[in-house]
Amino acid sequence: MIEYIQSILLIIAAILMIISAIGLVSLGKDTKNIVYARIHIAGLFDIACIIAMIGIGQYLLAGIYFILAPFIAHAVANAYWKKEDRENNVDLQNVEVVVDENHPFIHPKEKMRAFESENSEKLKTDDRFSVTTLEINEDE
Amino acid sequence: MDILFISKYIVVIALIIVMLAALRASAYKSTSMGLLGSSIVVNAFAVALLIVGGLYNLEFYRDISLALIFFGFVGTVAFAVVLGGDEK
Repeated sequence: MIEYIQSILLIIAAILMIISAIGLVSLGKDTKNIVYARIHIAGLFDIACIIAMIGIGQYLLAGIYFILAPFIAHAVANAYWKKEDRENNVDLQNVEVVVDENHPFIHPKEKMRAFESENSEKLKTDDRFSVTTLEINEDE
Repeated sequence: MDILFISKYIVVIALIIVMLAALRASAYKSTSMGLLGSSIVVNAFAVALLIVGGLYNLEFYRDISLALIFFGFVGTVAFAVVLGGDEK
């Protein structure tokens, strides 16, 4: 009976591995954020490996791998986001948004920042948020 | 023939297919893809070693597999930290 469960686990792992291999190769070149998608597929392969390790009875190795695999995926994604993704998409970081001045709900970002800054005239004149302290004298 | 024996061979074949796909993926343009591909190859080899070692009674296969998984992790994270650069 145990042999059947083990072989079922191994076959499930093999199917997941083949699916991840097909996905890793067949993703289109022009797909948006393709590196993150491939890291996601690598996560599927990691889970397939863990199932295979459980299937052959290596529980301790499966536990170690289960803990370490997310760290690898996060490290690679973080490195890509910090360096290559930013350098390749510099244009996307400096997008100018045209906002109508007379729009009732949407206001320009610079105007709102000036409005909320500490030196703005509105906050100086606004005394709604003044803090009062009440001193209690115990002798009285 | 034992069904467990056959399924172990099926997993080894699937692992070989994954290794080939990961080698292809590591040849893509970005450096991070090379890092990810090499990490997948190392982990797939570790699992294949576990299965083949169990089939043919190899010595120390569990230790070598543990070393591959652990040092593969350390190398990947170290290279990723260097690749990310300093925070500006």
